[in-house]
Amino acid sequence: MAISTKERMGIPLVHMPLNNPAQRVTNFEEVPIGYTLEQAQTEAKRCLQCKKPACVEGCPVGIDIPGFIALIEEGKPAEAAKKIRETNFLPAECGRVCPQDKQCQAPCVVGKKGDPVYIGGLERFAADWERSHGTYAPPPIPASTGKKVAVVGSGPAGLTAAYELRVRGHEVIVFEAFHRGGGVLVYGIPRFRLPLELIDEDIKLLENIGVQFAYDVIIGNALSLDDLLGKEGFDAVFIGSGAGLPKMLGIPGENSNGVYSANEYLTRIYLMQSMKFPRYSTPLYNGRKVAVIGAGNTGMDVLRTAKRLGSDVTCYYRRTRAEAPARTEELEHAEQEFLHWKWLHNPVEIIADENNFVKQIKCEVMKLSEPDESGRKKPIGTGEFVHDDADTVVFSLGCDVNPIIPTSDKEVRVNKWGIVMVDLATYQTSKKGVFAGGDAVTGGSTVILAMGQAKSAAQSIDKFLKGELNWNAPNVPTDPKAPGVQWSGRFMTAKR
Amino acid sequence: MLVVQILLKTGKFILECVLGGCNYEPIPEFQTVTKNTKAIVEQINIDNEESIAVALAQAEKLADLSGEDKAVLAAALSTLFYHDNHGRPGMIKLAGKAEAIIGKLGMDVVPFLISELVNADSESAAHFGRAVARNGKPAVKAVLQAIDANRKEDYAVINLLTALSYFTDSEAISAMPEILVAAKSANHRVRAEALEASAGLAKRLDATLFDEKLRLKMYDIASSALGDQQPIVRHFAVHSIGEMVKKGLLDGELKGKAAKAFSGILGIDGNNNWDNGFIVRHEAEKYVGLFKQAGSAKNKYHQSFRILEKRELCPDTYYFTIEAPLTAAKIQAGQFIIIRPSEFAERIPLSICGWNRDKGTINIIVMAAGRTSREMTNLSVGSCFADVVGPLGTRSHVKKHEGTCVVIGGGYGTGAVIPTARDLAALGNRVIGIVGARNEKLLLMVPELKEVCAEVMLTTNDGSAGIKGFVIHALEEILKRGEKISHVLAVGPVPMMMAVAAMTKPLGIETYVSLNAVMVDGTGMCGSCRVIVGGETKFACFHGPDFDGHKVDFEQLMKRQKMFVAKEKEALAFSEN
Ligand SMILES: Cc1cc2nc3c(=O)[nH]c(=O)nc-3n(C[C@H](O)[C@H](O)[C@H](O)COP(=O)(O)OP(=O)(O)OC[C@H]3O[C@@H](n4cnc5c(N)ncnc54)[C@H](O)[C@@H]3O)c2cc1C
Ligand SMILES: Cc1cc2nc3c(=O)[nH]c(=O)nc-3n(C[C@H](O)[C@H](O)[C@H](O)COP(=O)(O)OP(=O)(O)OC[C@H]3O[C@@H](n4cnc5c(N)ncnc54)[C@H](O)[C@@H]3O)c2cc1C
Ligand code: SF4
Ligand code: FES
Repeated sequence: MAISTKERMGIPLVHMPLNNPAQRVTNFEEVPIGYTLEQAQTEAKRCLQCKKPACVEGCPVGIDIPGFIALIEEGKPAEAAKKIRETNFLPAECGRVCPQDKQCQAPCVVGKKGDPVYIGGLERFAADWERSHGTYAPPPIPASTGKKVAVVGSGPAGLTAAYELRVRGHEVIVFEAFHRGGGVLVYGIPRFRLPLELIDEDIKLLENIGVQFAYDVIIGNALSLDDLLGKEGFDAVFIGSGAGLPKMLGIPGENSNGVYSANEYLTRIYLMQSMKFPRYSTPLYNGRKVAVIGAGNTGMDVLRTAKRLGSDVTCYYRRTRAEAPARTEELEHAEQEFLHWKWLHNPVEIIADENNFVKQIKCEVMKLSEPDESGRKKPIGTGEFVHDDADTVVFSLGCDVNPIIPTSDKEVRVNKWGIVMVDLATYQTSKKGVFAGGDAVTGGSTVILAMGQAKSAAQSIDKFLKGELNWNAPNVPTDPKAPGVQWSGRFMTAKR
Repeated sequence: MLVVQILLKTGKFILECVLGGCNYEPIPEFQTVTKNTKAIVEQINIDNEESIAVALAQAEKLADLSGEDKAVLAAALSTLFYHDNHGRPGMIKLAGKAEAIIGKLGMDVVPFLISELVNADSESAAHFGRAVARNGKPAVKAVLQAIDANRKEDYAVINLLTALSYFTDSEAISAMPEILVAAKSANHRVRAEALEASAGLAKRLDATLFDEKLRLKMYDIASSALGDQQPIVRHFAVHSIGEMVKKGLLDGELKGKAAKAFSGILGIDGNNNWDNGFIVRHEAEKYVGLFKQAGSAKNKYHQSFRILEKRELCPDTYYFTIEAPLTAAKIQAGQFIIIRPSEFAERIPLSICGWNRDKGTINIIVMAAGRTSREMTNLSVGSCFADVVGPLGTRSHVKKHEGTCVVIGGGYGTGAVIPTARDLAALGNRVIGIVGARNEKLLLMVPELKEVCAEVMLTTNDGSAGIKGFVIHALEEILKRGEKISHVLAVGPVPMMMAVAAMTKPLGIETYVSLNAVMVDGTGMCGSCRVIVGGETKFACFHGPDFDGHKVDFEQLMKRQKMFVAKEKEALAFSEN
């Protein structure tokens, strides 16, 4: 029975139920509970099934959004999941961590008058259904092409590249520096946003279709790119090594005990499981008063993690809430969790006691300038300073690209920020047979962009292996100030 | 033997007199019990941690005890085993200390301990068992005899099995047949305890003691016990299999079977047939991580990280040969590796003291400093580390120098400088090695260093070998004899490296030191290893570990090394429980 557009527009947003804040800050369980089939079907009814869906254009990998939503509405979540998997190999992860508010949900026409369709929630629902009902059918793997590809890194980029190459019949080995796969999905994004089982399960799916994993191998150290392309007999290499060089502010006192980069803090807790200390023996020194510097996704994750470890937590950010780069949903969830917010506070010094342990953080109070030509308001100092007590400080300022691979192989060209330079159309690097994607070529962006790039790269690797890709003229920038890859609505472009 | 036993019984009787303040005249022959012993006995009786601690400290100092003294002391100290120490961590520690002291009294008191053991409650039995187990080989025999004598008494057998599980002496392997028989007892408590003993020995004894047949038998019995009616038996069956896996006693097929069984117990194999005993699942959860790598698709890049050789260099310090072909193929002098010994462990950085590229092996020296390094030194030949990652860091600075090159090592650092010394010598440099330690016994890797140096000088703080003093005194010696030094590399404790750098700085001698900052990933990803060199923040794992010693902020390094001290103590205490 057809429902009119007007009726569809009249259905209010079905809010995804959340665990109660007072309770959830005492554990690491996932915050949103997920839709029931009924809730999902109601939410799916809000979709107008546009002829020219704006949402799809907002999605970096172009998922058939109205298509899968229609299947949910019809009560066929397993088929919806299958549809998503056609374009996105990690729906359970993406449904949970993608910045839908800036991508598919931003242009959704329903959003022009009220709330857009909660596409992320529906994607998550379909993926969870598929997992809990075991309806996933592995894709057919064609006969082996006899070509071997090495994938460096098992983050979203590496996993996607592995999948795309394997379904084209190539042999794939993923090399991972750590002892388990998943990249930032494991050692960055917290358990209360992304349960570990989801990642492990997707890795298992890859293993089931014949992708091999080699853990504890650092490419660049244990094996060089030349080794891979030479004596190890690989025909191509995909670099998905991510951005893993923490930024600090360079302010006095930064090396005091109790000052961490977000990477160290989150890695200790989530990869090394110090949240289960002392059974797991990696220690974490976590104070009563934790100061978190930065208000991006990483900042939110650190804030909410510290809260769950029982600390009194404050966020320091030099601009205001409106400029906070975090995903809206994350910021909202964080705001429900009894944290303190110091907007317009710029840390200038960290003060330690005689044993080098942090005791205070000194900030300059800022104000915003008039918008400049680009429309951005700059924070400017007011000359007023405050001293706050703190015994742990976490810098959540993002990352630069890890230099291990470029330092070990000079043929792979990077710009002055260490970002690997690639041809925007083919993801070829300056070294023959080597491709790259993900945070390594953007300098830190999102899961879905990393996946999108990996998918495009895999397509050109496939061409390369078939001898259809010309290596004479890849368009790899030579200017050391050339920007990395960036997503601008519809195309991957250059940033900075 | 019988005489001693009677003596002991009477010892206990006298003790009761002392404790109860009774008026009996002591039997004449016991007047030889010394005053010291009597004082200790009296003090033990005061139920107060401080006075017990004092008494134990005194008891520890006693030497050359007579039979009577030993008897009275064993009887008195063992009263601590009967205290209800629940929720009194201090008392539990003291009881542990008492175990050690009684254990040292030797075989004389073992019959007494066994006679108490067979009737003790389970907690006291553990204390008695550990005290007995400290006597090694002869005590194994004594316990086995006692089992034989008490075959009909399940209660006694259970406690005797408890004692068996604590032995670290290789003789204990002779108890395995008895244990495996008990594992099929009609009494479920006996079955459980036997499985626990089998687990204990798998954990404590060297892997090479378990031959193929025994391993198979142990596995068979434990795996059929996974289907036992009683959850407690299944719990210990899991424990037993888990310890075997941990020790590397099961490989290939059996390990695969164990992995399957454990995921079934936990309900993670998708068959919805998990064990409904909570204690069973909980136990399985502890070990399931051990199977992670075994489950993932194997390929030629999968490394076993098996321990091929283990040798004690000096107390608490071991030399290991490990299978790690990818690292072995690439490692260079000055680089290091990171090891995570088990699923639950921390990643810790370790230097390399040698390698064999053809065999795919690397050599390391581990000093048991805390929980993780101790966990490593507890593993035996044949077992595997969970992860070994490397090579990490940059190689040492080697080139041809005009004057002499000096490499200085303290502790594990002596091993660490060997590859660099070899490289320096290969370029035609004259290389002198200096090794420093507190005393002669702690000097290690000297013969190996001699192989690659033109000369090796030793220094000890107490003068028991070489020059009395510190490594810098040896350095002075070289300068005094008019030799020109162009290059120094020092690896070891921070104070040593600091002293070397302070000495060479005014002389303008190029000096490198290897910084042992606290690390996590070792690839430049986390920033945990931040050090200050020449006023700039550097990552020791990526930019180092070798840095210009004249520019390093050692103060800051030492303070940062203490960042986790409180937690490290907690971690160690947890693992010892
Ligand atoms: C705390 C935090 C929160 C985030 N939250 C979100 C979010 O909510 N939504 C979102 O879309 N994005 C989020 N991001 C960003 C997102 O996680 C990344 O953009 C994405 O993971 C990049 O994927 P990648 O595969 O390129 O790299 P990574 O995920 O970084 O994976 C790289 C992998 O390569 C391995 N590796 C590196 N070097 C080598 C080597 N030399 N040899 C072998 N292996 C190597 C690494 O160990 C790692 O496993 C967040 C990031 C962080 C840090
Ligand atoms: C480059 C480098 C090379 C090293 N080489 C050797 C070696 O060849 N042999 C050897 O025995 N030791 C070596 N060490 C030191 C070794 O890493 C520590 O002894 C070990 O980490 C102690 O761990 P634990 O859990 O046993 O002790 P804990 O009780 O946890 O710690 C004892 C002390 O060790 C240091 N430490 C603890 N955790 C770490 C960590 N993750 N990284 C670095 N230091 C830590 C701290 O100063 C701490 O106070 C090296 C360290 C570095 C950085
Ligand atoms: S834009 Fe919104 S309404 Fe249109 S198809 Fe996409 S989700 Fe549905
Ligand atoms: S150990 Fe993590 S950056 Fe050096």
